[in-house]
Amino acid sequence: MPAIVDPLEKARRGLGLSVEDLWWRYFAIGGMSTELEIEAILYQALVPTESDRDMLAVALNERFSELGGDHPLPYSEDI
Amino acid sequence: MDDQPDAFSFGLVFDGQHVIVTVDGEVDLLTANGLGGVLTAMVRDGHRDLVVDLGGVTFIDARGLAVLATVATLATSNGGSVTLRSVSAIARRILEITGVSELLAVETARSGETKLGAEEEADDRLANVEEADGSVPVPSERVLARPSTEVIDAALRLVTSLAGATIDHADGVSVTLERHGQLMTVAATDDRVLTMDRHQYETGEGPCLDAKAEGRWFYIDSLEDETRWPAFAPLALGEGIHSVLSSPLVTHDRPQGALNIYSTTRGAFGTREQELAALFAEQASEILTTAARQVTDEESNQRFASALTARRTIHQAQGVLMARNGLSADDAVGSLFREARKADLTVLARASEIVASLRSAKGDE
Repeated sequence: MPAIVDPLEKARRGLGLSVEDLWWRYFAIGGMSTELEIEAILYQALVPTESDRDMLAVALNERFSELGGDHPLPYSEDI
Repeated sequence: MDDQPDAFSFGLVFDGQHVIVTVDGEVDLLTANGLGGVLTAMVRDGHRDLVVDLGGVTFIDARGLAVLATVATLATSNGGSVTLRSVSAIARRILEITGVSELLAVETARSGETKLGAEEEADDRLANVEEADGSVPVPSERVLARPSTEVIDAALRLVTSLAGATIDHADGVSVTLERHGQLMTVAATDDRVLTMDRHQYETGEGPCLDAKAEGRWFYIDSLEDETRWPAFAPLALGEGIHSVLSSPLVTHDRPQGALNIYSTTRGAFGTREQELAALFAEQASEILTTAARQVTDEESNQRFASALTARRTIHQAQGVLMARNGLSADDAVGSLFREARKADLTVLARASEIVASLRSAKGDE
């Protein structure tokens, strides 16, 4: 287990979102990776592309929004 | 009963022009990921035009479709294409309903070529149950519909009557389930057990309720000496019942109800009877789990259809931003995300606005 939990994974756990639910949200906004790849990214077994990382951040931020929260996850620097 | 899923396998054939991927067996969550990995790797390796032969597929769910849609999008964005070959009539209908057929080319199966939906080709389904190689095609209902409540209840009634016939001293067996937030008896071997269950629902206490609530079994050896359920015990004694064994029915680690066995004999259920009861409870749980899985499949098909619609809208908005602002595909998506956040909208809502603005601009011309 990595010592530091990825911020995406930390957010996912905080939201109580299953990997499957997160994947569906990611898929709906145009994500191209499979659920297993997303799981690997969350557990830091796979380094995400910038676009994958942003899409996951968007998917999680939108869930935060639905719950009345802010957008806590930053997108890559060009955004 | 053989409950093993059909083994999933795939093969690669080159016909000089295309790479043909042949798929056999069930395409579900795990295998879809495997298939997706192979197809994605092929596109990235420069195979532009993929042909996927689904002739050997017995089952495909929304996840499998999502993989095909993703790979088709990837192939198209690389100037290539994905063609599905040997698609059964049923799979073809699913592809059309979900909109996946718009993303790729679909070749229809020749008669008798596919496993999925093979029963469509003959009026007499039984005649087609066993294929030449001895494999049994999966009924199409598995893909398209969930079993009706009637079918589930009939299966549970079978379990109760088998339990009643097999377990010594069992004078009545019932299945209690929570449906629409209410406990009800969905299968009972006779009227007395119906009454026994009703006494528990009405008094709000009893082994059946506790088995359901706590997810473990409750056994009453002798109702006369029972102190845990003071309101229920005298009512049960009034019906001539002395022993009760309630085993929980569990799906996905969540108790859903109980299998209740009643006896007029005191101390009726020994270790052997308790083990048998557990077996029957497990069988009933399995029926419920299968039913739940099929409901999940249906929900997941709906989820898939709406996810695909969202993808399409976002893809269109991306195209608009690329054309309007001279952006690359990646930058257009980044720009869309930024705009959505600025406007405090979801990406889909912002994408819809962008697509709508294009439509109204066109209308103004």
